[in-house]
Amino acid sequence: MNERLGNRLKERRTELGLTQSELADLCLVSRKTINTVENGVFVPSTLLALKLASALGLSVEQLFWIEE
Amino acid sequence: MSYRPRPDFDQPDAESVQRSRRMLPWMIPLIFLQQGSLIFGHSERLTQIVGTAAWACVSLLMLWIFLGLPMRWLSERDQAIINDERSRMVRGDAASWGIAALILIGCGMMVARLWVQLNAGIAIYGLVNGALIVAVCRYGWLNRSEPDEDE
Repeated sequence: MNERLGNRLKERRTELGLTQSELADLCLVSRKTINTVENGVFVPSTLLALKLASALGLSVEQLFWIEE
Repeated sequence: MSYRPRPDFDQPDAESVQRSRRMLPWMIPLIFLQQGSLIFGHSERLTQIVGTAAWACVSLLMLWIFLGLPMRWLSERDQAIINDERSRMVRGDAASWGIAALILIGCGMMVARLWVQLNAGIAIYGLVNGALIVAVCRYGWLNRSEPDEDE
């Protein structure tokens, strides 16, 4: 099984004109956390995924998906 | 670049705490070396007491960091950032490396004592410091360099 969490975090963040720091402040996490989630290095918890989706005005399913 | 008003500008914030924690892998081995020379290189009682107390303080400080105990003097925002889920994951990973090092060093010492008589103080010092240095190095590696915006 070689599953990976895909996301359109960066794309959506850029659409909204937010920097990583601003998104990090909205979700109360470090900028490095946002950076590693965007790069697929760190898989966020459900709680953080919900916070990110809420901050970016999307549903979790629109923001994250499983890549085979 | 975004700016955030800070009424408590004279206090450390999450970013400065994270920056200083990235220095740990460079600082801790040097501190332990210096403390080791103080504890084991001098026979005077007072020097040994001071050295041991200093070593215990540094070790407990590391324990504080790895357990993620709250830093109440920081704002709620800074505490949340320092203790966010990635930071907890990194601390947990580093702590498990430290435990692995503790077991390996302990096994090595148990085998070594069959041939060499180990001094209890040096054995404890080596065991605890070995584990802490491995944990700190892993922590530093996982937290290496702050990435550029959009990197």
